[in-house]
Amino acid sequence: MRRLFLLALVLLSACRPKTGEPLEAEVRFVPEHPTVGKAEICIEVDPRLELTRVEVVGDMTHAGMIPVEDEAHPAGPGLWRVDAFDFNMRGDWVLTITAYDKQGKKYVKEVRLTVP
Amino acid sequence: MRTPDLLRLPLVGRFFRWRYSRFVLQVPLLLVALLALYDGFMGRQLAPKNFATVSVWLHYRGFLVLAIAVLGNLFCAACPMMLVRGPTRFAKRFLPEFKWPRALRNKYFVIALTLFYLFAYEYWDLWASPWLTAWLILGYFGVAFVVDALFPEGTFCKYVCPLGNFNFTLSTVSPTQIAARDPEVCLRCEGKYCVNGRVETPSGRKTLKEAPNAEGLRFPGCETKLYVPQIQSNMDCTLCMNCVRACPYDNVAWKLRAPGTEAAWARYKIDVVWLGVLLFFAGFMNAFAMVPPYYQLAERLSELLGTRNEALLLSTIFVLWTGLGLFLTLGVAMLADRVSGVRASPLKAVRFWGTGFFPLAFAMWAGHYAFHFLTGWASIIPVTQQALLNLGLPVGEPDWTLAALVPENWLYPLQVGILYLGLLAASYVLFRRARERNHFLAGGIVFTYFFLLVALALWVLAQPMEMRGTLLLPQ
Repeated sequence: MRRLFLLALVLLSACRPKTGEPLEAEVRFVPEHPTVGKAEICIEVDPRLELTRVEVVGDMTHAGMIPVEDEAHPAGPGLWRVDAFDFNMRGDWVLTITAYDKQGKKYVKEVRLTVP
Repeated sequence: MRTPDLLRLPLVGRFFRWRYSRFVLQVPLLLVALLALYDGFMGRQLAPKNFATVSVWLHYRGFLVLAIAVLGNLFCAACPMMLVRGPTRFAKRFLPEFKWPRALRNKYFVIALTLFYLFAYEYWDLWASPWLTAWLILGYFGVAFVVDALFPEGTFCKYVCPLGNFNFTLSTVSPTQIAARDPEVCLRCEGKYCVNGRVETPSGRKTLKEAPNAEGLRFPGCETKLYVPQIQSNMDCTLCMNCVRACPYDNVAWKLRAPGTEAAWARYKIDVVWLGVLLFFAGFMNAFAMVPPYYQLAERLSELLGTRNEALLLSTIFVLWTGLGLFLTLGVAMLADRVSGVRASPLKAVRFWGTGFFPLAFAMWAGHYAFHFLTGWASIIPVTQQALLNLGLPVGEPDWTLAALVPENWLYPLQVGILYLGLLAASYVLFRRARERNHFLAGGIVFTYFFLLVALALWVLAQPMEMRGTLLLPQ
């Protein structure tokens, strides 16, 4: 019984969530360090990936905040852009970039930043 | 005029006299805790999208202050952690039972635990981590099990649980209280069953204290050892209603009373008063830690001390603020005493005037929690859906845009209203205390102090929110 309990503890402490298929992308902001207000987000991926849609969802790290959702548009080979992403509050942000390719396969990348 | 008794209401009295009523209240919160554990450990580690963080840091806290304001300490009544009682009764057969050390039979240990908990909340950003929130829940159940197994029942609630003591302190403003219907009946009562418990054996009625192993219908008494006719305060009352069921004379009432006024007549011990004072300053700090001036202060302190160690900076701010608060309270209480011609000790002065902090502490926490709850109350729907989806249940796609209950521009006026009500109740307490001394200027001095604290709190609540885990910006 004690061993089972210890095993359960070890397993629980090892539990980390799966993040899904990772998206290899470089993410830049204009301005480089966004402040409260609108900012441009550039997402650069391997052009061979042939993405059809890229969504950006911004969450704050505190529970209860409405997420900011936006969709990127293609701006060149492998380049996707959100023109005016609304960082509407100071604090820690988690951007979830979700991309879909022609086959409908989903790729996800998480970017964390602090908006002063 | 007879005081209204909620137990006289149809169904209410019958429900609470039913021996499984507390269990019925505990089961929903146990299910919430289990789902929070599952999603906290297994779900996505993003606080606004995880059931653990949303249910604990938004809804539990929001409903808690709402329940305390509207009715009473219902969350202790429905506490799922006391469901460890079954396993601990089994464990007690094999374990020795210790007495809780006499030196710890007060609120100082809880004060220390509360301070540590609040420090941990800020330092490890518990609010931002579903994983740590799940561990907190699990740890809480574990500690409840260990303390309940090794020490007498009620020890955990009264002397250890920071959450329970937070609820006890805030519920001093609640509009209800347990009381004796007819104190004469209590005087004639041979067994003091409300505190000693009752067992109906074939050979007659006995107390559980004198016949702990007797066969028969058993009704446990108050675990925190409150004797109903002497109850002046909601402090230490978990609203478990054991007293209602244990009283063979149906002499226990759940009476209505004027909210926020208990502190005017209750005679708290000094440790209880310090807990109330500390909860006000801790509540202030908790709100202050979410606004830009806090981070500016941290940056300045970092330059001054020449360190970027967050634990050190956070501890310094915590100690300075709570220390300043306690020191100022001591000074103001002493000044009020001197003005009214009383030359009591400083602690007696705090014991007399400090009770005014109880409604203020409630208002501070309620104002802060109301903000979070009202800005994100509906987010419980998509996070529950997501957690159930992860479990494989067909509950539909979550709508993550669900969030606010009231328009954002209502929030600050609402917080101002809550703090003004707190100040109003505190001023009533001070007025009654000053009238006892027949010296209103003394009450005015403490009121001025409270007024300035409330003004400072309103300034904090008026600042733009900054939800940041890192104390200092990266260099």
